[in-house]
Amino acid sequence: MENNHQIEKRVMEKINSGRLKLRSKYIFLAEKLGLGSAFILSLLLAVLFFSLFLFYLKASDNLVYLTFGSRGLFAWLESFPYLMAITLTIFIIIASWIIKKSDLAFKKPFSYFIIGLLAFIMLAGTILAFTNISERIEQESLSSRPAGRFIRPFFEFGLPDRSRGLAGRIIEAGENYLIIQTPQASKKIDLSQLTTPLEQPLLPGMFVVILGQRQQNFFIAERIHLISENEMPIIRHGVRGRFGPFENSGGNRSNGGGVFLPLPNGILTSSTEQCFKDCFDDGLNPPACQVQCQQ
Amino acid sequence: MTASDLTDEKLVALIRAGDQELYGEIIRRYQTKLSHYLKKFIRQPDELEDVLQEVFIRAYQNLYGFNVNKKFSSWIFRIAHNQALNQLKKKSKETLFLEAGEYNIIDEKINLEYGVNSELDRRNLEAALNLIGEKYRQPLILFFLETKTYEEISEILRLPPSSVGVLIMRGKKILKKHLEKLYGK
Repeated sequence: MENNHQIEKRVMEKINSGRLKLRSKYIFLAEKLGLGSAFILSLLLAVLFFSLFLFYLKASDNLVYLTFGSRGLFAWLESFPYLMAITLTIFIIIASWIIKKSDLAFKKPFSYFIIGLLAFIMLAGTILAFTNISERIEQESLSSRPAGRFIRPFFEFGLPDRSRGLAGRIIEAGENYLIIQTPQASKKIDLSQLTTPLEQPLLPGMFVVILGQRQQNFFIAERIHLISENEMPIIRHGVRGRFGPFENSGGNRSNGGGVFLPLPNGILTSSTEQCFKDCFDDGLNPPACQVQCQQ
Repeated sequence: MTASDLTDEKLVALIRAGDQELYGEIIRRYQTKLSHYLKKFIRQPDELEDVLQEVFIRAYQNLYGFNVNKKFSSWIFRIAHNQALNQLKKKSKETLFLEAGEYNIIDEKINLEYGVNSELDRRNLEAALNLIGEKYRQPLILFFLETKTYEEISEILRLPPSSVGVLIMRGKKILKKHLEKLYGK
């Protein structure tokens, strides 16, 4: 009891002498506001990055590789937007940590808050993905403005040269070869080792996703998927950003790639092949030829 | 109306408003209770006194961090709890010490069926409590020895009230198992 009395005396002495002071209420207010703002910011960024992540999967060649079956798995992994996924995870962790630090979170099991947080991020991110915000951000990433330079690495991370897959725009089609423009460079594609026949002829201006093996100076294609220009806006913007605007004809005729060449596999009927040839000679773009000749 | 008639929360509001002397009343109200709680972790009287003083200093400094709509006792017990854990971390040991009357409280309330009649029984009980792990030990101590409610324990340990009940129930079972081992049953 004597000791306890001593404690009271010592503490009160410190208070009365001014050596022990109350921490300002503004410090606590600032802490609360700071944590609240950090939580809202990390939550909004998590929603934004989830939306950008969905947009990347939808608007790049990434998911197309899975349509090649198990052979496309490696190319899918190569083109996966890891930087975006890691950044999204970091913002979710920060938001979760702030919830854990808050005064209210312990009232309910922490797992409830995490489930709620993830559900909110996924729901809000999915809704945001239906707007054109993600595409506008992606286009901004191609600009030289500071915001564009900041966001660019997240989109570029999945796009560099890969060893098992390629996506780009055909600029020249020849017997057993293609030359395509990718967001990085022009690539020569060897078609001599295709394992499955093509469903339609390849024409300059068309967009393709190719599965195969990268060699030193060219790429050996095993399988090819034709993709409409609008299905892969990230690749389209990347190619346009690197090589300039596309010509309306769909073919880059000035470089000698505009001549229709029948495919070696001979899978088209002669009438369809003639239709494509005529259509191309008439200067229509490839998607229009596809519609016209496959009717 | 004297200071002793005021609630803790009202006292805090007045101290914040500038009446620092009233903090003496807070110290008088809590020094015995907190000392009793801290003795579970700290046996040395000098060390205990230092920790207790630090608890009151920290509580005073952070009075604006206390929400007057909540219970002050839970808030100051949380500070004491954290301070005790910090002290244990410094010493790299987590040992529990019981006072004479507390052996019987544990025996009765947890219904151990072993009795705590001899010194050996008491040592066994302390050993078993030290074996059950921090997660279960803290709710057991606060519930049985400090007679705190689930709600208060929830505030002190920052756990959901539903988890407090579960931890106490499991803690009792684990304690009994350790005692069975110690008695070779």
